[in-house]
Amino acid sequence: MNKKDMIDMSLRSLWKRKVRTILTVLGVVIGTASIVVMVSIGIGMNQGFAEQLESWGSLQVIHVYPGGGMVYDEATGDMKQENKKTELNARAVEEMKEFAHVDAVSPVINEYLLLSVGKYVADASVVGLDPSAMEALGYKVEEGRLLTEGDSKSVVVGGAVEFYDPKLSWEMRYSTDPPQVDILNEKINLTYDWNVGTRHADKSIKPFRVDAVGRTSAEGADSWSVFMPIRELEKIQKERKEWEKEQYGGNSAARNQSKEYSEVLVKVDEMEQVQAVQQQIKDMGFRASSLTDELASMQETTKMLRLVLGAIGAISMLVAAISITNTMVMSIYERTKEIGIMKVIGASLRDIRGLFLMEAAFIGFAGGVIGIVLSYLLSFLVNMVAAGQGSTMQSAIPLWLALGAVVFATGVGVAAGYLPANRAMKLSALTAIKTE
Amino acid sequence: MRESIIRIRDVKKIYQMGKEEIRAIDGISMNIYQGEICCLLGKSGSGKSTLLNLIAGLEKPTEGKIIFHKKYIERMDEDQLADFRRKYVGFVFQSYNLLPTLTALENVTLPLIFRGIPKQERTEKAMEMLRAVGLEDRANHKPYEMSGGQQQRVSIARAFVNEPPVVFADEPTGNLDTKTTYEMMDLITGLAKKYHQTLVIVTHDLELAEYADRIVVLQDGRIEKIERRKREEEVDENA
Repeated sequence: MNKKDMIDMSLRSLWKRKVRTILTVLGVVIGTASIVVMVSIGIGMNQGFAEQLESWGSLQVIHVYPGGGMVYDEATGDMKQENKKTELNARAVEEMKEFAHVDAVSPVINEYLLLSVGKYVADASVVGLDPSAMEALGYKVEEGRLLTEGDSKSVVVGGAVEFYDPKLSWEMRYSTDPPQVDILNEKINLTYDWNVGTRHADKSIKPFRVDAVGRTSAEGADSWSVFMPIRELEKIQKERKEWEKEQYGGNSAARNQSKEYSEVLVKVDEMEQVQAVQQQIKDMGFRASSLTDELASMQETTKMLRLVLGAIGAISMLVAAISITNTMVMSIYERTKEIGIMKVIGASLRDIRGLFLMEAAFIGFAGGVIGIVLSYLLSFLVNMVAAGQGSTMQSAIPLWLALGAVVFATGVGVAAGYLPANRAMKLSALTAIKTE
Repeated sequence: MRESIIRIRDVKKIYQMGKEEIRAIDGISMNIYQGEICCLLGKSGSGKSTLLNLIAGLEKPTEGKIIFHKKYIERMDEDQLADFRRKYVGFVFQSYNLLPTLTALENVTLPLIFRGIPKQERTEKAMEMLRAVGLEDRANHKPYEMSGGQQQRVSIARAFVNEPPVVFADEPTGNLDTKTTYEMMDLITGLAKKYHQTLVIVTHDLELAEYADRIVVLQDGRIEKIERRKREEEVDENA
């Protein structure tokens, strides 16, 4: 008997018992939909966390700090001085670049500077980083472009950086709307002279001419910062230190400064690898943290809830499986004679079992497909209601879940149909044919 | 001497009913020859149906051998028996045993479906068979829309559609009136002769036995006598 005929015959006998078939399929529909919706709420929750965290920064970026600080000792429960000390320097950066799954590594330095454009100024935290790594590190611009390799006197300005007129008094600055500055087309000067633009300006400080190549969105963690190539920012830093020394006298600490970075960013190619890379970095003797730490702890807290949701779905699926078995057993009782006839006129054991397994599989498959359609509908409703109530609960059905559910439902059908099908196969042809 | 297609040797079938042993078949040896029409004649309880079931592999003998060509039927497992029935055997039953949900045509196609014959080919074959039994205009009727005689014709078409070497008929006319009975017997024997098939008929009706080349009379699980009838074609062969 070939496959096509088998499919044909089993579909026909299912169709002959429409009502019962539909009711059994309905059971599978409910089972599938409850599993899928429950799992989708779990997934939605995790996605919600991830999105929330994404707004704080990229989940794939690890922040590395020099080791040797005070750390919490899990064994004793006390804080202790970590003695292992490796310098977080250019060599360490090169070493981290060689790690598997690492896309980009960039040291980061910070300097609080003023931007002046025409008669307006703005103060901002200026972040120096490796321009070639900026894109990989997950930064985005709304206008223009990111810093790229070869940029030197270019900056990317955060969307939330606001300019003001330094000649105005403090009250006036806050009570008037900030002036609109078209920074992408203006000349920008960076300076550490806090009196720039006023009559107290220090003429001895030479401002740093830069061009803005891009502007980020006004939302997000980095929207108040200005980004520039680290090498240029280091020059400014150095000049400022020298100027400060002239102004306030020698400071040996500044001179004695080592070439250790205070922070290094490491971009990992996949979120799943972040924790592993992070551990690798910690093993080098540095402190490291990433937003996935937060994600992991958030997911841990909801794990129980997700398990309970999954269990509810699993129970409905179990009930559906039992009802498939029941339907198949009933069907075999009714069709004993039919099975006998088929055996006598030449159906092989495989054919008989195949026919019944196929029927059970179809019940599972149909239930799975309809269940998925229903799940998408329910998921949509859940999201609508949740959004309406301002709840963060959401439901998401990724493609793998949809396909997986259909495969699973079909599998449940086959499993539930296995025993009845075997029973049909083993029926004695003679007894079966004599049954009335 | 013609070639024997089935050889039965010292076959016994004993049923255990509580403490009592019922010897349904009590030591039967006989041959069934290629191309003959053999009638197993006997009263109810003579063991004729049991013997048919044993030969057709629907039941296993308690003792003895049943050899079909060179195959020992009693040693076959369920899978091999199914294979055997599919390839070598056709059945006609007293109660027709048509699948009620299928049309006449589909019922006739069923053995071909199990043989894995493509749709076009099997439909043509089945239609041809329905034509041979005179039911081509009923091809798309369900069994319950047909008379007993018509249903039996469908079941005859189904038994012959595979062109099996042997066709078994168990009281094929038991449910039919006299006129239909003769029509049916003419049909079965005619088809068997036409395709040189061996036909084994089980009946209690002496008149049906008239159609046979050989009549094996059974009583209490034993062969009482074997009656050989000369047929015209045999006369021709001998001439």
